[in-house]
Amino acid sequence: MSALLEVDGLSKYYPVLERRLFRASKQTEIRAVDGVSFSVAEGETLGLVGESGCGKTTTARSILNLVEPSDGAVRFQGEDIVPVFRGGDRARILAIRRSLQYVFQDPYLSLNPRWTIGETLKEPLRVHRPEAPETWDARIGELLRMVGLEPHHAWRYPHEFSGGQRQRVGIARALAIEPRLLILDEPVSSLDVSVRAQILNLLAELQDRLGLAYLYISHDLSSVRYISTHVAVMYLGKLVEIGPVDDIFTRPRHHYTRALLSAIPVPSPGAAQDRIVLQGEVPSAMRRPTGCPFHPRCAAALPVCAQSEPLLMPPSAPHRAACHNPL
Amino acid sequence: MSDATLPAIAAPRQRAPGIWRQSWYRFRRNRAGLIGLAMVTLVVLVALLAPFAAPFAPDDTSAMLRGAARRAPSALHWLGTDRNGYDVFTRMIYGARTALAVGLGAMIIASVIGVIIGGIAGYAGGMVDELLMRFAEFFMVIPVFVVILAVVRLFGIVVVGTWLEDIPNLNLMTIIVLLGCFEWPPIARMARAEFLRLRNSEFVEAAHCIGSSRRDILLRHILPNAMPPLIVLVALGIGGAILAETMVSFLGFGDPRAVSWGQSLYFNYEALKVAPWAVLSPGAALFVTVLGFNLLADGLTDAFNPRTRQ
Amino acid sequence: MLSTLAPASSPPVVAAPAPLLQVRDLRVHFHTREGVVRAVDGVDYHVNPAETLGIVGESGSGKTVSSLATLRLVPPPARMAGGQILFEGQDLLAKKPAEMAALRGRRIAMIFQNPATSLNPIYSIGAQLGEILMWHEKASRAEADARVVELLGLVGISDPGARLRQFPHELSGGMKQRVGIARALLCNPSLVLADEPTTALDVTIQAQILELLADLQKRFRMSMVLVTHDMGVVARMASRITVMYAGRVCESADAATIFNAPRHPYTRALLESMPRIDHSYTGAARRPLPTIAGRPPNLLNPPPGCRFHDRCPEAAPECRRLLPLETPVGPGHTVSCLKRGSEGIAA
Repeated sequence: MSALLEVDGLSKYYPVLERRLFRASKQTEIRAVDGVSFSVAEGETLGLVGESGCGKTTTARSILNLVEPSDGAVRFQGEDIVPVFRGGDRARILAIRRSLQYVFQDPYLSLNPRWTIGETLKEPLRVHRPEAPETWDARIGELLRMVGLEPHHAWRYPHEFSGGQRQRVGIARALAIEPRLLILDEPVSSLDVSVRAQILNLLAELQDRLGLAYLYISHDLSSVRYISTHVAVMYLGKLVEIGPVDDIFTRPRHHYTRALLSAIPVPSPGAAQDRIVLQGEVPSAMRRPTGCPFHPRCAAALPVCAQSEPLLMPPSAPHRAACHNPL
Repeated sequence: MSDATLPAIAAPRQRAPGIWRQSWYRFRRNRAGLIGLAMVTLVVLVALLAPFAAPFAPDDTSAMLRGAARRAPSALHWLGTDRNGYDVFTRMIYGARTALAVGLGAMIIASVIGVIIGGIAGYAGGMVDELLMRFAEFFMVIPVFVVILAVVRLFGIVVVGTWLEDIPNLNLMTIIVLLGCFEWPPIARMARAEFLRLRNSEFVEAAHCIGSSRRDILLRHILPNAMPPLIVLVALGIGGAILAETMVSFLGFGDPRAVSWGQSLYFNYEALKVAPWAVLSPGAALFVTVLGFNLLADGLTDAFNPRTRQ
Repeated sequence: MLSTLAPASSPPVVAAPAPLLQVRDLRVHFHTREGVVRAVDGVDYHVNPAETLGIVGESGSGKTVSSLATLRLVPPPARMAGGQILFEGQDLLAKKPAEMAALRGRRIAMIFQNPATSLNPIYSIGAQLGEILMWHEKASRAEADARVVELLGLVGISDPGARLRQFPHELSGGMKQRVGIARALLCNPSLVLADEPTTALDVTIQAQILELLADLQKRFRMSMVLVTHDMGVVARMASRITVMYAGRVCESADAATIFNAPRHPYTRALLESMPRIDHSYTGAARRPLPTIAGRPPNLLNPPPGCRFHDRCPEAAPECRRLLPLETPVGPGHTVSCLKRGSEGIAA
C-alpha cells in the first residue's frame, strides 16, 4: 500500500529564555517533537499514543501547520507540504487543506457558539466550493445524515446539542470537502462512555464507506486498539515504538510501551495483569535525559542507555522499537 | 443507533434562539438591568422628542425680560426658571441631547480606536502587541481632564476669526473627540484580551484548518465573539463620558452654545439656596442618565455571562 | 492525642458487619430557574468497614453529588431534599453544622479530582496540612509537622521534611495528588471519599496513585468510596460496586458479579459498549461496538417510570409507568429493574 501521509524527521522546538537574576539569561529550547517519522497509508488508521506532554498533539498540529514545524518534511501524496505552507500560495494551501482535515478534542470549544450548525458546515463549502453556492444546502443535509444527525439540525445552535452530537458536527465539518485523511485529536476523550462507542462506530463506518485514512491521537488505549491498524508510541517528543496494532498490544518491544499498557486498568476484577508500575514521573522537556529519554525510569536500562540514543530498529521492519535492550 | 434525536420543540425550518436572543432572555430576568434599560430608554426618548416635549425654546430667556428669572415652579414654568431666565424644564430636556451626543459620540470614537488597536495587538501578538499596549498605557497616564481644559481654551482662541468659527458646536465636538481619544485604552485592553483568547480557541483553529481567510476569521469568527464584554465596557463608558463632559462644563469650559446639564449647574450653583430647582433638576437628570447606563451595563454583564445561565 | 500509625491489628471481620456508612433514600435537588433538577432521587447504598465501594456512572448520574452529600457539602442551588445518612450509627443530616465540621476531615475525609485546585496555592504544604491537625486534634506546630512528615513519607513523597516548606506549584500533578491523599489521611479517618482521584492524571501516574490507595486502604483498614466513570479503575480497586444512572441506583453487587454477571440492562450495555485493550479488532474483527441508543434523560423532567426505559432494549409497557425499587437477586446483589423481578411503584 502506498503511503498517503509521510512524516519524516518532523521536529518542533520552542525557544525558552531562562531568565536569571544575576547571570546572563540562558537561551535553551524545548524539543516538543524531536525527529518523528511515520507514515499513514490510504484507508488505514495510525494511532498516536502517549501521555500528556509527549508531543503527540504538537505532531498533529505541525502536520497541518497550525504550528510551524522547525525541521523535517511532511509529504502528502508524495509532495512536501511544509514549504507550501511557508510559501503562502493560497491556492496551493487550499488544495492541501481540502484533503487533510482535523477533528478537535473538545466539541464544546471547537464550534463557533454564535453560528448555527448550518453556518458552521457552510464555512468549508464557502471556502472550497465558492463556484456552486446552490449546492451547499443539499450538501449540508447530506453531511448531517452521514454523521447520524437530521438535516433540520442545521438550524440549531451548538449549545442545544449534547457532547456526542457536537462531535458529530465536528466530524461533518471535517468531511464537508471530502478529505482523504482526517487527523482526530482525542475525539472521544471528553465524551461519556456510552457516547464514546457511538462516535467510534461512526468513525469506523465512515472509514469503511469513504476509504478515509485516520491519524488518531489519544491517550485512551482501548479506543486506539479498536480504531487503529497501526500504532505509534511517543515519549518526551520521540517516537519509541511503532508497528501493527496487535503486535504493539500483545508483543510490545519497548519497555515504556509495556508499562503504559499494563498501567491501563482492565475492566475485569482480579485479572491476572502483570502490573508494571513505573517509578517516578516524566521528566520536564527542558531537562531531557541524555541517551534514551526513558532510561531513568526503565527497569532494564543498560549503561549504554544513558549515553547513546537508540534508533528505531530493525530499520525497515513494520514493527520497530527504539531500545538498546528490547523485550 | 445514535443520540441524534432531539426533542421536537420546533418546526424544522424555525431557527432556535441564538446567542443574542438567549442573552436577552437572561437580561429580562435581571431587575436592575431592566430598570437601567428603562431609564436609558426614557433619556433617549426625551432627547429625540425634545422639540415636542419642551414647552419653550432652549434659548428662550424672555422670562428675564418679564422679570421672572429665578422663579419657583409654576403652571407656566413647571420646574421654575433660572437666573438667566431660562425655563429649567426645557433646558433639562434639551440637555439630554447633549449628554447622549457626548456619551455616544465619545464612546463610538473610543470603540473604533480601541477595537482596532486592541484587536491588532491581540491577534498579531509579539512585538506589535508590546508596542501597541505601551502606546495605550501612555494614554492612560495622561490626565484627560487637564488636556481637555487646555485644548478647549487654546482652540477657542485659535479659531477666532477663521471659518472654523462658523461650525456649530465646535467646542462640544472638540470635547467629544478628546474624550473619545482618551477613553479608548480600557476598550483596547479588553479587545486585546478577547482577541488573544479567541485567536487560540479551537473553533478559530478549525477555521484555519478549513482554510478560511484571515479576514473571515477576524470579522466573522473573532469579532462577534469578542463583542459582549466590549458592549458592557462601552455602556459603562457612556456614563463616564457624560459625567466628564458635565464636569468640563461645570468648570465653565463647556460649549456656550450647547445646552448642557453641567453648564446649568455652572450657571446656577451660586443660587443653590435661592433657586434650588435650577440646580437640582439638571442634577437629577444627570443622576438618572448615568445610573441608567451603569445599571444597564450591570444587566448586560449578567446576560452575557453564561455562568448565570443554570 | 495523635494516634500512631501502626497498621490496625484487629482480626478480620467476620460475616455481615454493621455498615460504617448507610445512605437511605437520599434526595438532593437543585433549585434552578427552570425548575427542580432531581440530581439524586432516592439513592441507597452502604459501605462496610474496611472495604472500597465503587460508585460508577456517566456524567449527570448523580454519583459525585451523592458522595458530596455524605459530607453535607452540596453547593448552594442544591438542597438535601430527604433521606438518611447514617455514619457509625448517627444520622449526619440531623447534625448541627459545628458537629459536621468536627467530623469532616477527621472521621470522613475527601480526596478531590483535581489536585491542582484542591490545594491552596498561597500556603506551603506544611502549613496547610498542619493546620488541619492543629484544628482537629489541637496538635502543636511541632507535633503537626512531625505527623505531616510521617504521612508525606507514607504516600511516597521523597524527602518529606523538605517538602513542608514547598508550595503546591513546585510539585507535579502526581505529587500534588499524593499530598491530597496525605491530607485526607492526616486524622486517621474511618471513611475516605475519593471523587475521580485519578481522572486528571496520566495513565502511568494513575497506576501509581491507584496502587498507593489500594495499599493504604489495606494497611489502615479504612473504608473508601471511590467515585469514577472509569470501569477499569473500579475493577482494579473496588470490592463492591454501585452503578448509578440519572440520579438513581441501577445495580449494586460485589465487583466480580457486576463485571461477570450483571443483571441490569444499563450495566450490561455500559460494559459491552467499551472497547477493550485485551481484544483484537483488526480486519473483520472490527465490528460496530454495541451502543446505548438515545441520551440520558433531562433530570428537570425525568420520564415517569424507570429512568432508563426509553433507552432500554428490554423495556416493557409497565417500565414506562412504574419506578422499580431495589430488589435482591442474589447474595449482596440488588437490581432495580421490573424485568428482574423488582417491585414497581407508580410515580
